Amino acid sequence: MTECNTKSFKGKKALVVDNDPDILEQLKAHLGEMGFEVTTCESQAEAEKAIEANDFDLAVLDLMLEFMDSGFILGYKLKKQNPELPVIIITSVSTETGIQFDVSNEECRSWAKADAILDKEIRFEQLEREIYRLIA
Amino acid sequence: MFEIEVNNKIIEAVPGETILSAVTRAGIKVPTLCYMKDLAPSGACRICVVEVDGMKTLVPSCSYPVQEGMKIHTNSKRAIRARKTVIELLLANHPDDCLYCVRNGNCRLQGLAEEYGIRERRFPSSKKKDHMLDATSPSIIRDQAKCILCGKCVRVCEEIQNVAAIDFVKRGSKTVIAPAFEQSLNVSSCINCGQCVLACPTGALREKSSLREVDEALHDKDKYVVIQHAPAVSVTLAEEFGLRPGVDINGLMVAALRQLGFKKIFDTSFSADLTIMEEASELVHRVTTGGKLPMMTSCSPGWIKYVEQFYPDFIDNLSTCKSPQQMLGAIIKSYFAEKEGIDPEKIFSVSIMPCVAKKFEAARPEMGRNNIFDIDAVLTTREVARLIKMAGIDFDSLTPETADLPFGTRSTAGKLFGGTGGVMEAAIRTAHYMITGKELKSLMVEDVRGLKGVKEAKVKIGDLEVGVAVVSGVGNASKILEEIKNGRKDLHFIEVMTCPGGCIAGGGQPLSTDQESIKARLHALYNIDHSETLRTSHKNKDVQKLYDEFLKEPLGHKSHELLHTHYIKREVLS
Repeated sequence: MTECNTKSFKGKKALVVDNDPDILEQLKAHLGEMGFEVTTCESQAEAEKAIEANDFDLAVLDLMLEFMDSGFILGYKLKKQNPELPVIIITSVSTETGIQFDVSNEECRSWAKADAILDKEIRFEQLEREIYRLIA
Repeated sequence: MFEIEVNNKIIEAVPGETILSAVTRAGIKVPTLCYMKDLAPSGACRICVVEVDGMKTLVPSCSYPVQEGMKIHTNSKRAIRARKTVIELLLANHPDDCLYCVRNGNCRLQGLAEEYGIRERRFPSSKKKDHMLDATSPSIIRDQAKCILCGKCVRVCEEIQNVAAIDFVKRGSKTVIAPAFEQSLNVSSCINCGQCVLACPTGALREKSSLREVDEALHDKDKYVVIQHAPAVSVTLAEEFGLRPGVDINGLMVAALRQLGFKKIFDTSFSADLTIMEEASELVHRVTTGGKLPMMTSCSPGWIKYVEQFYPDFIDNLSTCKSPQQMLGAIIKSYFAEKEGIDPEKIFSVSIMPCVAKKFEAARPEMGRNNIFDIDAVLTTREVARLIKMAGIDFDSLTPETADLPFGTRSTAGKLFGGTGGVMEAAIRTAHYMITGKELKSLMVEDVRGLKGVKEAKVKIGDLEVGVAVVSGVGNASKILEEIKNGRKDLHFIEVMTCPGGCIAGGGQPLSTDQESIKARLHALYNIDHSETLRTSHKNKDVQKLYDEFLKEPLGHKSHELLHTHYIKREVLS
């Protein structure tokens, strides 16, 4: 945890979805250190089941899974269940396609169903900053 | 010296120099692309080829040495045709999206195509489609599709900065320039200095723009948007509007920022004065109590990351002071917010910096408190020029205005932060006063002025003799660090600026690496210092007021909470 923020998220539940098992493992470890109880999923289908069975406090999603827009679909489903849920997308879509998504204003956030988008590869401190910004 | 013949004219040449060097001195223009003055030639692009009588092939003038009696033709039909072909081949492999490109109108490749009259497509486009856009770094975007493999970025990163974050990867037509393992810049050893951006002839390397966030904030009724401008910006911004280098447009810039809708415009030179109060106190404290020496400045974020990654043993030598950008950010969201009765969460704090590493610095997690970050967005000098142009603001119709209180007053010592040696000069002025109670006889410290990469001096402060060094370009800094590692002990205080020349030549500045322009920018700072009366940080009345009303004393409790930080060893891939 950083100096700027020392709050622990003990008791909070995080959903982490990524089809790269290494990234999944790293995110699980880091978020676990911050106090989150982490559920990991490797696919959109798996994540959809987890969403039905749980109430999460944070979602960290990859964008391109079985479908190019899996992350957006999951964000839509999560926000439908709980509009206040912070959704962070971590994606390499810019690297692979050149498309850059923007969530700098409310209008963009409302269609993207995401509160923050980070470009892979990330330094964990970037994700941490977004989590504190969205949940503090 | 001996004579050579160039374009039927006799000129003088020095043994050992290149053809390009000799002809340039004689005022004969030969186009270049990959050439970098003062670095060993790479001869990669072949744009500078010339024809030499008696030689079978054209020779690259940037790397071929002159020989006595040589007869050279710089503009022969064959040479021009070869250059045109090189440009045409580069264009065939380059995206045609000039209209979207940040370098449109300021691109060397585009310029050469125009110069050589290339207005028809001779080779069918085979532009790269599978190359990645690396937008992961908070400071720099790397767009491989626009890369022409000239290698200037690689050389500046390795030979000038001694970082070597990027290099040629793979071979032949598959060659790309990338960080280790072809990973993204964000997780590489890149220190975000942006010298590669200045070196890049196309739009392959550019700053990560924060204009959208700033524009959103300016139109958000719930946000109180303030802006600060760094010392080096007012003496370079004019170049983006076509004026000659070295013109100070401080007042016009402030007027333009006010028209853009910023509620308050503050001067980062104010917090440079504040930095000096803290840093000079820290130096005096370290010298008098046997603290870790030599103390090294900490206002240049590229340098900080460089030490964290490559010289973690020297972390304790770094001053604990935050940079002026971060200090002012912290004071705005505490003292200013409290004084004005504004919720700090509603303040959107923007800075204009000559630097792309400042974007990385502002995003560092330790730069804030209780989830309130000192700075919300950083714009480079280039970006702010774009913002002013987008708003249709005409400089001719503006009258100069002054920055807002309580952070609008500055000494010229604070303004000198913009050039190499400035922090040192300002610190010596104040440290002398702190130790002896008297002002320096001559405030100008000649030994630390000028653009030399390493400057050293012995400064007499009362009974103390202080060994100081001023270094710009982290490659130069590594040489000093190695000397200290090997037992050098005569230095007490070292100023390090990441970019050669300091912030006036920072990675966020107008795209010129021409030494004469950089000299003109530096002299603009010196002229300000010579022409004004408030020349020491400790005499800045508003800084004194800030201590009286809020901080109480340098290195005090509040200062530690808001103005100081510490760093830890950083693994390169994290």
